[in-house]
Amino acid sequence: MQQFLTTALSGLTQGMIFAAFALALVLIWRSTRIVNFAQAPMAMITVYIALVIIDAGYSYWLGFAAALLSGLLLGAVVERVAVRPVEDKPHINAVILTLGLFIVIHALAAVIFGSRYRSFPAPFGLSGFKVGDMNIALTGFGVFSILAVLAVMLLLVLLFRFTNVGLMMRASAFNQEVARLLGVRVTRMLTQGWALAAMVGSLSGLLIAGGNLVHPSYMDSVVVFGFVAAVLGGLDSPIGAVVGGLILGVSLSFVSGYIGSEVVALAALVILMVVLLVRPGGLFSHAPARRV
Amino acid sequence: MASTSLLTRKQQITDRKGEQMTTWSRRVASITSVLMAGAMLAACGAGGRPDEGEGSSADVVGVTEDTVKIGAHFPLTGVAAPGYSEIPSGHKAYYDYVNANGGVHGRKIEFIVRDDAYDPTKTSQVTDELVLSDEIFAMVGGLGTPTHSAVVDFLNGEQVPDLFVSSGSLQWGDDVESKPHTFGWQPDYETEGKIVGQWISQNMPNARVGLFLQDDDFGEDGEKGVRQYLDDQVVATERYTSGNTDVAPQIAALQGANVDIVLGFNTPSYTALTQLTAQKLNFDTKWFYSNVGSDPELVGSLLARFSEGAVKDGSSLLDGVLTTEYIPGVDTPDDPWVKLWQQVWDEHGGGAELTNYRVYGLSQAYTFVQALQAAGPNPTREGIVEAIEQAGAEFDGPALAPFRYSGDSHMGISGLRVSELKDGKADALTPVLVTDIGDAPITEDNSGAGNDRPPEDGIPDAEG
Repeated sequence: MQQFLTTALSGLTQGMIFAAFALALVLIWRSTRIVNFAQAPMAMITVYIALVIIDAGYSYWLGFAAALLSGLLLGAVVERVAVRPVEDKPHINAVILTLGLFIVIHALAAVIFGSRYRSFPAPFGLSGFKVGDMNIALTGFGVFSILAVLAVMLLLVLLFRFTNVGLMMRASAFNQEVARLLGVRVTRMLTQGWALAAMVGSLSGLLIAGGNLVHPSYMDSVVVFGFVAAVLGGLDSPIGAVVGGLILGVSLSFVSGYIGSEVVALAALVILMVVLLVRPGGLFSHAPARRV
Repeated sequence: MASTSLLTRKQQITDRKGEQMTTWSRRVASITSVLMAGAMLAACGAGGRPDEGEGSSADVVGVTEDTVKIGAHFPLTGVAAPGYSEIPSGHKAYYDYVNANGGVHGRKIEFIVRDDAYDPTKTSQVTDELVLSDEIFAMVGGLGTPTHSAVVDFLNGEQVPDLFVSSGSLQWGDDVESKPHTFGWQPDYETEGKIVGQWISQNMPNARVGLFLQDDDFGEDGEKGVRQYLDDQVVATERYTSGNTDVAPQIAALQGANVDIVLGFNTPSYTALTQLTAQKLNFDTKWFYSNVGSDPELVGSLLARFSEGAVKDGSSLLDGVLTTEYIPGVDTPDDPWVKLWQQVWDEHGGGAELTNYRVYGLSQAYTFVQALQAAGPNPTREGIVEAIEQAGAEFDGPALAPFRYSGDSHMGISGLRVSELKDGKADALTPVLVTDIGDAPITEDNSGAGNDRPPEDGIPDAEG
């Protein structure tokens, strides 16, 4: 019973982290129609910025804020400098470009920050709660992670559903020409989309790092699982991303605990295949007929 | 119809391109092989000249009148770099020290390190470079089980002495026939598992034992040793895949099995991760970590931040953890060997701090210098292998137990002692115990290897 509960709860926190990363992918997909493979190293670099600030003796929250802010800036700069030149080319060009960025940022981080493991602090306790004899494998920081991801999901839903900016972002991603004719400043929308997505990416980086060890490739495994989570959810829906992340996190946790950690990646593939066979557009796709 | 023919046409074009590519690469290949053949002829010509003196080593790869060139692959970057990347700096410092004091038989040792990032593909690549382009005399201390496995056959095929692999896998020494040029150095994981298993069966006979194993030779060999003594006490076996940092499901399973002690055959980062996860799960148990994963300084520095100010010194977070020792480390600064390492390191280390990983490199380098001395004034590749087989078991050195080298076994150090960590120091719980792989019995070491003292000048003499 204890093991079941612990496995479920640790899967839940893990799933929320996948969800955070998937949210960033969904965000950039909705606002630019490309998949950003450089998301993880971009987030990693901002987490290192936070670590430098915290190591210099400032508070955790200052580092936290700095990471989010630098994520915002980095997203905008990457879009302006690197992605803009290929924006009117086929989408695949931009996707390949992000793969290149993935490698470049990785190498840069290793050069600047070194490739050794470093510990990243957490603002809340790292011991699980205890209820009587039962141990609840949720730490203060785990609860914070869950709340933070739910809040971001809610904000994104609000942004896309109920604000003008959200509408304009979706429009410019969907059909640049028409959006432009209707008076939307498309390029600005694209920059905004990248900036916001990079910020959500930074948040996921911070949530993974808290109370854990970081090194330049600490987010690489999350790239794969975060991507699977986003595709499970339909790549288009913030709620789908969170649900996808949770399904994946919890089931992988059970696979790892009751079957063996060597089949985790295989299980992720099986889940992805089954879901896509049953619902080719993902769990939460509402316009299956749309062609991209 | 039109579109189909277009498709075929496209197909043809790509095919032709492919053909062109093959001819082109074939041409390059043939040119390269001609060049290579030329180079080889030239090399043979140089070496084949009538010798000026009997047994001159002018024709031995990597050996000149005044130098011996050796090399190794180490992870200087990547996941395995923490800790392990410091080992070659220990090697380098000791060779510099020996060179400054006249070298070995008048030859200076040149040590080339190449980074493989703990990636077997890269290991193959850098080993090719070391053997074919740097033309090293021997590989000394190449690190890692998965990495070195990728090149061990190549080295033996080329008959390059492959000395003192930095890994405790059994395969470096248990099959001399198929790998005649490869030698292990540190105690193998099976030996370590046996000795720990016996200690637990004697001292905690009623304990429920859980295993936490890296999912490769490391965990497998360790488990093989442990199960010889604890088979009926082991109630849970969990494996982790290196790279997957979420070990909560594994630790939860161990907790669910109600174990009293967990035996971890894992790397240092996973020692930190298991401790963190255990804290999250309020899992209060006794831990044993294999020597490889237990460096209190490295793990302590990773954990210090998470102690939330309660404990200032991170290394005391590992208080009560069991581990093993087979060479004296930096926690015993008064040990004569550690004094020697400190002196060498102060002179040639370049200012950084002496760590246990550097001590490991220094100790390994000491064994190589011993082997080179034993190979005589005109070392050859076959000569050094023979010398280690004949004299290796008698080498004096920092190791607490003797080597097992012989014509039938290339296994390294034969034993170790069980100890408990306290304030970052290891308290010995047993005398030095020695054994061998398989069902060889465990006995107390009476060779006196633990009482060896370094020679006056810090350099082993020709007799080893």
